[in-house]
Amino acid sequence: MFRQLLYTQWKWSRLVLLIICLASFALPLLSVQGVRPDDLGRFDIEQMLAGIQTWGLLYPILAAAAALILAMTTWGPDHRGKHIYALSLPIPRWHYALLRFGAGCVLLAAPVVAVWLGALVASAATRLPAGLEAYPTILAMRFALAALVAYAAFFAISAGTNRTAGIVLGVIGGLVVVQMILLVADTNINLVGPFMLQLFVWPGPLEIFTGRWMLIDV
Amino acid sequence: MSHAVEIRDLHYRAGKTFEIRDLAVNVPTGSMYGFLGPNGSGKTTTIRLMLGLLRPIKGTITVLGGAVPRESPRILARTGYVPEQPHLYTSLTISEALAFHAAFYPTWDWKWANELLGQFQLRRDQGLARLSKGEMGKLEMLLALAQRPELLVLDEPTDGLDPVVRRDVLTALLDYVSQHNATVFISSHLIHELERICDWVGVMDRGRLVTELPMHSFKSGIKRLRVEHAPALPGDTPFVLLAREGGNGSLETWTVRGWQAPMRQYFEGVGASLREIVDLDLEEGFVELLRTFREPTIGA
Repeated sequence: MFRQLLYTQWKWSRLVLLIICLASFALPLLSVQGVRPDDLGRFDIEQMLAGIQTWGLLYPILAAAAALILAMTTWGPDHRGKHIYALSLPIPRWHYALLRFGAGCVLLAAPVVAVWLGALVASAATRLPAGLEAYPTILAMRFALAALVAYAAFFAISAGTNRTAGIVLGVIGGLVVVQMILLVADTNINLVGPFMLQLFVWPGPLEIFTGRWMLIDV
Repeated sequence: MSHAVEIRDLHYRAGKTFEIRDLAVNVPTGSMYGFLGPNGSGKTTTIRLMLGLLRPIKGTITVLGGAVPRESPRILARTGYVPEQPHLYTSLTISEALAFHAAFYPTWDWKWANELLGQFQLRRDQGLARLSKGEMGKLEMLLALAQRPELLVLDEPTDGLDPVVRRDVLTALLDYVSQHNATVFISSHLIHELERICDWVGVMDRGRLVTELPMHSFKSGIKRLRVEHAPALPGDTPFVLLAREGGNGSLETWTVRGWQAPMRQYFEGVGASLREIVDLDLEEGFVELLRTFREPTIGA
């Protein structure tokens, strides 16, 4: 049962998954392009780390994009068929959703492995200046966790109807618009800030997306 | 008589305009039950409620002895379902669709599925997106049959299919039923098709069950009578007067249900004379039935 669901999801998402995997493999390699250990002073090392940090911004974005695309391709065909086929299968609805979620997680492992391999190759191919370390496995694990959190969120939203997704996006969009109006009106009311704090500051669920994503660090 | 499907006092509402009210359906075990009704009468919704795909506001549904929706997975494992619209994943090939479907049904019969593939002239490597309507209809029927169900729920399975494909699909269905004594619940607005294969019929209109009876009763009891000097008020008739229309002079045309030959005497008793009895075919009877259901005062 799970194998069949995994197969269908792989078939629906294989092309886009391939592109994500290529990007995931390339990102660590690109992030260490400027690293030349010879004749590096302290200022050069700081600059180099700043460059790696800039590239690092792309890891959480890539993780979220991979999760979003996989979540959408997971539910897309069921949405098109108005879920009739899925609902007529002889398993409880929660079981079906769990199998689909599990299959998506397995597929999500591909970009994670691609990041890990890319990071391993990038680390091996780079002579690091004294005092710096490469963290390919930790980076890949962090990428995996971010992708998983994003996938869970997008999976839940995609599982609902277009109306549900519209309501969720509408509420978020409405909050942002109201906040912008309040800013223009020069008030001190901050609506979005407390939500962002709850989400992005530990123990918020999206904390994993913040901070420094460094393949090479002190 | 045991029932494969029992629906009691079912109530469901979709939007502001459509509702199913006080629906009661009994499908005898082992029967071929034709579920008739015009488009939009609630046939598909009833089927979806029956299979637990939709949740009713109130009422009870029992299918194969299990309560819907509480026991839906167990029931669905023993039920073959062909929906009105193709619902399969079109990115798969036939072979992949079979493997996917088979994984969910413990009673799946690969040997028979392969036989049906040959019988329906379907190629394993064909993509579902490229199948014609007829081929898709055959594949849907194949999937429903190869899981060896005790109950087949078919929602307009031959709608839009050409006569050759329709014959193939119905032949496979009848073969299966004759060998396994399965119950078939088949909805359609193709009356003549159901007339040939069904032994029970339920008629639905505007979310309500109009009638439910054995097919032979439905077929034989509906007549058109030419009546001379018909009384203005027919009084207590031994038959159900569905409609009466004035004709030339004193001659009227009555459409009746539940007609039997000894009922001729009724006309002598009210001073009328019966000039002619015309057998109505099922389609005419069906139309008259719906007409009187929608305008119940017509025969009064």
